[in-house]
Amino acid sequence: EGRHGQKKQQTESPEALKARQERESVLVKEYTALKESFNEITNSKQRDNDALKVTTAILRKSPDYYSVWNERRRILKEGFLDKADDASSNTIYTNELEFVQENLKLNPKSYFMWNHRRWCLENMSKPRWDRELAMVSKYLEMDARNFHAWVYRRYIIRQMDQQEKGEDATEKRLERAQSEFDFTTAKISQNFSNYSAWHNRSTLLGKLAAVMTEEEREMVVDNEFDLIKNAIYTDPEDQSAWLYNLWLIGREDKSISIPGAYAISFHPLEIVVTFDETVRLRNSFTMSTRVDQTVVGLEGEWKATGSDPSVGSVWIFQQTLDSTYGSTVELIIFPDDVCAVRAGSKLAAATCFELETSNQDLESVPSRLSRLVVGKNTMYDVSKRISPTSGSDGTVETQKQAPKYLVTSLTGSDKHEDRVALLDREISTVRELVEIEPDCKWPIQILSTLLTELRKTVSIHSPRAKDIDDESIELQEKLISIDPLRQERYEDRRTQLVFDRETLKIIKGSRRFPEIEFADVQSKDLDLSMRGLTHIPISSYFIHLETLNLDSNSITSTRFLRNLLSVKRVILSNNSIERLEGVQHAPCIEFLALENNLISKWEDVVAGFMFWREGKLGRTGGTVKVMLGGNPVVENEGGEYVLEQRWADVGEVGVEIQWQTEEHRLAEEATGGAGGDKGDVPRRLSTVTAVGL
Amino acid sequence: MSTHTNNPSNVDPPSELLLDLHVKYIQNLDTKKGDLEYWLTEHLRVNGIYWGSTALHLMGHPDALDHDQIVEYMVKCQHDNGGFGGHIGHDPHILSTLSAIQVLITYDRLDAINVDKVVDYIVSLQNEDGSYSGDSWGETDTRFIFCAINCLSLLKRLDDKRLDLQRTIDYVVQCRNFDGGFGNCPGGESHAAQVYVCLGTLTILNALHHVDADQLGWWLSERQLKNGGLNGRPEKLEDVCYSWWVLSSLSMLKRRHWIDADKLTKFILSSQDSETGGIADRPDHVPDVFHTVFGIAGLSLMGYPGLTPVDPVYCMPRYVIQRIGLSEKH
Repeated sequence: EGRHGQKKQQTESPEALKARQERESVLVKEYTALKESFNEITNSKQRDNDALKVTTAILRKSPDYYSVWNERRRILKEGFLDKADDASSNTIYTNELEFVQENLKLNPKSYFMWNHRRWCLENMSKPRWDRELAMVSKYLEMDARNFHAWVYRRYIIRQMDQQEKGEDATEKRLERAQSEFDFTTAKISQNFSNYSAWHNRSTLLGKLAAVMTEEEREMVVDNEFDLIKNAIYTDPEDQSAWLYNLWLIGREDKSISIPGAYAISFHPLEIVVTFDETVRLRNSFTMSTRVDQTVVGLEGEWKATGSDPSVGSVWIFQQTLDSTYGSTVELIIFPDDVCAVRAGSKLAAATCFELETSNQDLESVPSRLSRLVVGKNTMYDVSKRISPTSGSDGTVETQKQAPKYLVTSLTGSDKHEDRVALLDREISTVRELVEIEPDCKWPIQILSTLLTELRKTVSIHSPRAKDIDDESIELQEKLISIDPLRQERYEDRRTQLVFDRETLKIIKGSRRFPEIEFADVQSKDLDLSMRGLTHIPISSYFIHLETLNLDSNSITSTRFLRNLLSVKRVILSNNSIERLEGVQHAPCIEFLALENNLISKWEDVVAGFMFWREGKLGRTGGTVKVMLGGNPVVENEGGEYVLEQRWADVGEVGVEIQWQTEEHRLAEEATGGAGGDKGDVPRRLSTVTAVGL
Repeated sequence: MSTHTNNPSNVDPPSELLLDLHVKYIQNLDTKKGDLEYWLTEHLRVNGIYWGSTALHLMGHPDALDHDQIVEYMVKCQHDNGGFGGHIGHDPHILSTLSAIQVLITYDRLDAINVDKVVDYIVSLQNEDGSYSGDSWGETDTRFIFCAINCLSLLKRLDDKRLDLQRTIDYVVQCRNFDGGFGNCPGGESHAAQVYVCLGTLTILNALHHVDADQLGWWLSERQLKNGGLNGRPEKLEDVCYSWWVLSSLSMLKRRHWIDADKLTKFILSSQDSETGGIADRPDHVPDVFHTVFGIAGLSLMGYPGLTPVDPVYCMPRYVIQRIGLSEKH
């Protein structure tokens, strides 16, 4: 596909051009004549040697003319193979293999060449797979990264494996896998940065280790780590050994946490459940109540906040109208009920919440329930039982879940100490390299990744976790300086680390390590200004906040606002926001500062306030004031006065927008409104003029 | 191997998009009948029309090629079994079938062909393990899975009862490698083009949760080289077409900003041919329509002014995807 790597020639002289065009026209005539012959053959279904010769001639010039390969096979089959005996067949196929071989040298990356070879081998009575293996090895000598050759090699191995029929078939296959493994060792020894060889190795290692004893496996794994160590010391810039290293060490998958569940209203019943990451609903969470000693299911709908109710980190249950419930309500979330958007995250075990509904009077709520007033709504903290409910036979499952170290089965150990020992050892190896090569980014990236793994083994509130976080943040900053091309990736990672550090007081460890819950006492304010944040990693953490200060960060999206169920004031001035989303879903918001962002189009403003009153929790009135001064939209769309009129025409009652920056407004006030900051005057004149037109 | 010119004040590589020149370049493609290369690439004609017409649409010149002529031509390329060949008379193949459908939808002329037959053809290429063959000769490759799913999605026929979409998802997941990337078959080395087709398949089938976005996003971001261009896998050379495969993959993973857009833009622009128009695989190389469309599409993804927004999954103008009612998944 496409012409790769053809250097442009110097501009030709008219004579050279004419000569070339003449040569070409001869070639074109030749080729079109061949094509015509080919069309005749196809139309008349000619199946003899002449027909074959035509295809040979064309394929030599145009090996990707796939229809000719197809026709060649039809000619061979109908014209020769169908009537041939075994020996003749074999000869025919062997000749085909030679034909491909000749042309393959010139076109080692033509899919159709390799396909034709496969066709021959799969139809021959006696395919010589060993020869094929030798052949493909030669191609890998010429170009160790030719992925056609590697694919073909794996294909040959599969075919050879399939043909093992004896009692020792399994043994033979393992021997073959071992031999292939040794082949990758040889290739890697020739050149440590042979990514294709490391990749192939990764597909073989598991197969081999699966049948080993634990001792053998340990030796093999140690061997791998030695090989990796050699590679990274020889060439720390090469990524293949590093990525292989990470793969070998593996990664502990994350257990989804449910930090808290709350009742927002009782008539009808509305419950909110928070997750610490985005999930999709597979099955509705089970809501039930006890009425006269019987357990009865509660009817209602579960929706995520925001414009897509099928995915999110904050979920709200609204009971069907006119339904009732008893004095206790139970909510159970089973692991299969949710599917994380992030690969590998799972809910480890069922989680159960209970709500006492007998005291619905807002004033006399028992003190064990914490209560936050959310506008006119109230959120009741629902008490949580982590262990699942009794099974059908009345037994209660124990809730203790051992953390899973989901590593490759090779370094696998369910023991915490082993995991920590492995990580510590690998981290110190990488640290050595960081010292030797302080400006090489790979050791630093790998160190950062390994530290992330190590952090999963400690309590998030421990001093060890703090050290790891502090160092990880430093590493991201170092990476930003030595690898500016990938700056935004490091800034995203840094944001996650800073966010984790700044929200430690919002959460506490749950009884089910490593899950977390909301801390018992929740602050209503949070100041995250000037932290260099590019996004909000876990916005569900913010459901208790009434004020949030995010001034002077690098945030680009306001979608997270849909999860801030209690927030009244949000400062997002001096960020990089281009459009407003999620605002209309924040049920209690009263003030939103968005000065000095990148909002440049009218549509991007309107998008944030459509159907303002139709937020998830049903606003019962109230106004939001939005500060949009200092955004390009003001100049682009004709100035403050024009926009004021335009917004009034839109008629979203309850949304007051200030298009003038607060700084200017105060300056005007101070000087009595006339003149003031000289910078104002020209602008106001222009808007008046615009309106005058 | 003489140098391009001895002039010390050599012309600087282009720093702006030479849009009008590219339009002319594409319009002239079919006039090169004196070049042998024109004839040697006949089997790519249908694909070439897709590449050319998509580039024209993204550049805001949807009428620069004759709609009717193109539709007539496509109709001639369809076989009785519903599949399209690479050119009139060429055998049907799933690659050209997808291109044909993409062109017909872009020109809003699906009415010209038998859609049911196309669906039948694609279904006939489904294998038991969930993969798809390229044609009746049986080659399998994750590219063909994407062609199938993409095409069925565009035709709104993913609900066909003969499809086993879960098995297809499972097969694609088997093609995931130690580095988080995807290959052309289980065990195949990660390569940016295969990553694109696998992510495209999983995106259309709502199965992206099988992908470790941070890990794969990292691997993709490492495709950017110091000169700003992107390569397809480690230790390989930069090439303009990866501006598409890598960038659209990152878009689907919601990490497009992990590539330095300014440097990539400069690289694509400097690969333009300021004499003939068109974009090459890298600066000072011969341009072709394949690299032209993927360079333009990459620029469009980065929001280059003057270009129509492109859909990162389908590599078609976003407004076309919206017109046929496919929701945005990214």
